[in-house]
Amino acid sequence: MNNFWANLKENLSLTDKFIILCPLSLSLWGVFCIYSASGGSSGHGFDYAIRQSMWLLVSVISMLLTMTAGHNKFLEGAYYLFGLSLLLLFLTLLAPKVKGAQSWLGFGGVRFQPSEFAKVAIILTMSKFFSRYPPLDFKTFIMGLGVIMLPVGLVLLQPDAGSAIVFMAISFGMLLAAGTPLRYLFGLCGIGLSIIPFVYFFLLKEYQRNRILVFIDPMRDPLGAGYNVIQSRIAVGSGGFSGKGFMMGTQSKLKFLPEPHTDFIFSVFSEEFGFIGVMILIALFTLLLIRVLVAGIRSRERRCKILTAGVASWIWFQMFESIGMSIGIMPVTGLPLPFLSYGGSSLLSTFIALGLVASVCVEGRSTRHEF
Amino acid sequence: MEALDIRLKFFLSAIILSVIVLISGLYLCQIYQGDKYIRLAHNNRLRMIRFPAPRGEIFDRNGVPLAVNDTTFCIMGYPLDLNTPEKLSHLSKILMRHGIPFTVSDLEKTIKQQRLAPYRVMKIVPNLTMTQMAELIADYEFPHELFPLSVWRRTYPAGTTAANIIGYVGEISESELKLRSEEGYNGGDLIGKSGIERSYEAELRGSPGQEALEVDARGRKVRTLDANPSVKGEDLRLTLDMGAQKLAVELLKNWKGAIVAMNVETGEILALASSPVYDNNPLSWGVSGREWNAIMNDPSRPMLNRAIAGVYPPASTFKAFMSIASLEENAITQSTMIACRGGLRFGSHLFKCWKHSGHGALNVIGGLQHSCDVFFYQTGLRTGIDDLIKWGKKFRLGEPTGIDLPGESGGNIAGPEWKMRRFKSQWSGGDTVNYSIGQGYMLMTPLQIARVYAAIANGGKMVTPHLHAKGYKLPENIGLNPAKLEIVRRGLEAVVSRGTGSRAGRFGVHVAGKTGTAQNSHGDDHALFAGYAPAEAPKYVAVAVVEGGKHGSSVAGPIVGEMLAHLLSH
Repeated sequence: MNNFWANLKENLSLTDKFIILCPLSLSLWGVFCIYSASGGSSGHGFDYAIRQSMWLLVSVISMLLTMTAGHNKFLEGAYYLFGLSLLLLFLTLLAPKVKGAQSWLGFGGVRFQPSEFAKVAIILTMSKFFSRYPPLDFKTFIMGLGVIMLPVGLVLLQPDAGSAIVFMAISFGMLLAAGTPLRYLFGLCGIGLSIIPFVYFFLLKEYQRNRILVFIDPMRDPLGAGYNVIQSRIAVGSGGFSGKGFMMGTQSKLKFLPEPHTDFIFSVFSEEFGFIGVMILIALFTLLLIRVLVAGIRSRERRCKILTAGVASWIWFQMFESIGMSIGIMPVTGLPLPFLSYGGSSLLSTFIALGLVASVCVEGRSTRHEF
Repeated sequence: MEALDIRLKFFLSAIILSVIVLISGLYLCQIYQGDKYIRLAHNNRLRMIRFPAPRGEIFDRNGVPLAVNDTTFCIMGYPLDLNTPEKLSHLSKILMRHGIPFTVSDLEKTIKQQRLAPYRVMKIVPNLTMTQMAELIADYEFPHELFPLSVWRRTYPAGTTAANIIGYVGEISESELKLRSEEGYNGGDLIGKSGIERSYEAELRGSPGQEALEVDARGRKVRTLDANPSVKGEDLRLTLDMGAQKLAVELLKNWKGAIVAMNVETGEILALASSPVYDNNPLSWGVSGREWNAIMNDPSRPMLNRAIAGVYPPASTFKAFMSIASLEENAITQSTMIACRGGLRFGSHLFKCWKHSGHGALNVIGGLQHSCDVFFYQTGLRTGIDDLIKWGKKFRLGEPTGIDLPGESGGNIAGPEWKMRRFKSQWSGGDTVNYSIGQGYMLMTPLQIARVYAAIANGGKMVTPHLHAKGYKLPENIGLNPAKLEIVRRGLEAVVSRGTGSRAGRFGVHVAGKTGTAQNSHGDDHALFAGYAPAEAPKYVAVAVVEGGKHGSSVAGPIVGEMLAHLLSH
């Protein structure tokens, strides 16, 4: 036990503090936003804020445990974790539907989304796989893609297109970091672009097609799908330079915004805290992303470099999509904004992933000390 | 290693670039266009109006209108524009000036009832005529932020004659709204509350139209952003024959009771009367709590649809069923003779025949013709309660017929198991004796009786009674022996041609059927008659139950005879 505390203390002193403090401050700020977005003390505010705080506590503890245990242990068990995630994703398909999709699993009274934990498993597996077999030749590249398509396929069956896109974004970032020849990456983009018309006309549901169309022109359906985009933009824009103040947002209070405490949390945030608040928020995100990638650059291990790229592309993609969606420069997908949106699974899994990065930092510095 | 670091640094630059894009977007939105959005949020003036769809209309089989839509006007407005008491009292003053009695508390109540988002338009004063609306609009003090909306009001030309079938509509209640939130209902929407209006709600409803408006700071329309027209609901043509229905209601005018008339092959309902009647028109327009209570607490229970939810002992009309069950179980044959000396001593109890002097020796045809109780007491004991229940289940006694109307009762098939459950006591031989003449625990609705007689008339097929073609189900053959069924049918013909039911045969059509007199512990006995015509090739079945009508032969028989004659001659 003493050994554990000593370990934890040493790790904390060696690791990059920003990787712990940035997400922590973002999440604490998020708890306040959730309180406001879900109606304060007169609505479900207390309920949601308290539940989110409990999840945050669990997440921080998990992060510290992950860091102390070290990324090497996780990488050793990566393939097992990957298999377990696939199993859980498969089990979700048998669970009852919530809001038209099967993305939840109940476990002893706690419900969680296996797709969130699958993101961690994908990052670990791809780091291990691509460091052992660098995707430099066409065959390994295709093998890597094949492994990625397993979880992507399972979440598409739920159907949860948002998670599938995040899985692919993570994988793309890791392929880039693993040194995949640029012609393969361009080829991948080319294939992606060329199947868009096929996906659009044959795979997307009516409501998903509408989201794309209103992204191009929100006024084409101001009552239906375009309504969210217009109202969200009004929320963000009306925050102005300094915002309306905490709990003073009208867009979410008057129920103009759908799902204000999850998908549209950024709209609530920017309405209440304004351009200044948004700049601080983006600065915290950017600082975190820079520190994650710097940890990769400093590390001497190939697999750690790839791992940090996976974590960075995950957080970056969801941040860009969530903020972009709320001002109408990205289509609506319903992805959570990391650390701020209400949701325990998402919070816990991002913190675990950052725990891995923190552990990479520790190793990077401690080895340096030895020389 | 170097190569990978270059990739990571490239990735880092891409992230920083994307952040610059986000910051520029946010700058544009919050600073450059900030004032515009602050204004938009301040008066969030995107408003939506929902236009209720005209409901599908309902007609009888010959196109006689039974439920139609009239235009009336509502005053609409937004909760945001009416949030001060002065505004409400001002509005109330104007309404009163034009003779529309709406106090401030009435207005507050309507607004509170609808509980919508503040930007959703809602109904403030309902049901105004064109003249009233025109006068209000012309009043220079009428608030600009309120506006008229033409809506459809449901009226029922047939009124009391078919109210028990058509039902009525009303504003959706909070509990219905919760239950059906997925189906796109909003507070204030009309929904079928009973009858056809309720069972065919999905067809009749149509889909509401919507209009998105941009309004100015005072709530006046600036322009329409988008509009979807409403789609009228589906018109329904029922199987009901208003001629027959009117006659049925007329025949029951001075009585409490029910009449059912049905096609024996298909289960199409031609008449379904329940007396006393109620008027569905005022119910659809909204009645006060007091009027509503008066209707609900009326001791004669006009809202009870006696034809499908009134349960009665089938009494002697049950003897046709008894004959089939005992012949099928070979408890008797056509030539089995049973002697009636006016009663049957069973255990310590004497079960009397209605004819105290006795009928002498009878076979099953004679038993039916004279409605001899002793004959059926004996038959019941020979068949045994278990086989009677078995046949009762084949005839679907004790379960609803599945008619396309809400609130149907299934009656009670009773039996030993049921008695044990209900009274914790054994079924006795005496219970079987009583059961054999349709008295005691067994209860049926007039519609169930009609279905049993339809099966006798059509050769053993259980039809599903229905009022619209969508309610049709393929009749189910329960497998009756044709020769044995023929014996029962000859008995039922004898009832009318020379037995207890002769008064049903005086209307020029060849009727076969059975009388019944149900003991009523609360007053005069109920009179029943179930019959079909023409006896040789049956087309229609009719059942009449007259509460307190004393004798099936004198009151209910002629009603059924007249109904059948009417149906066959039109």
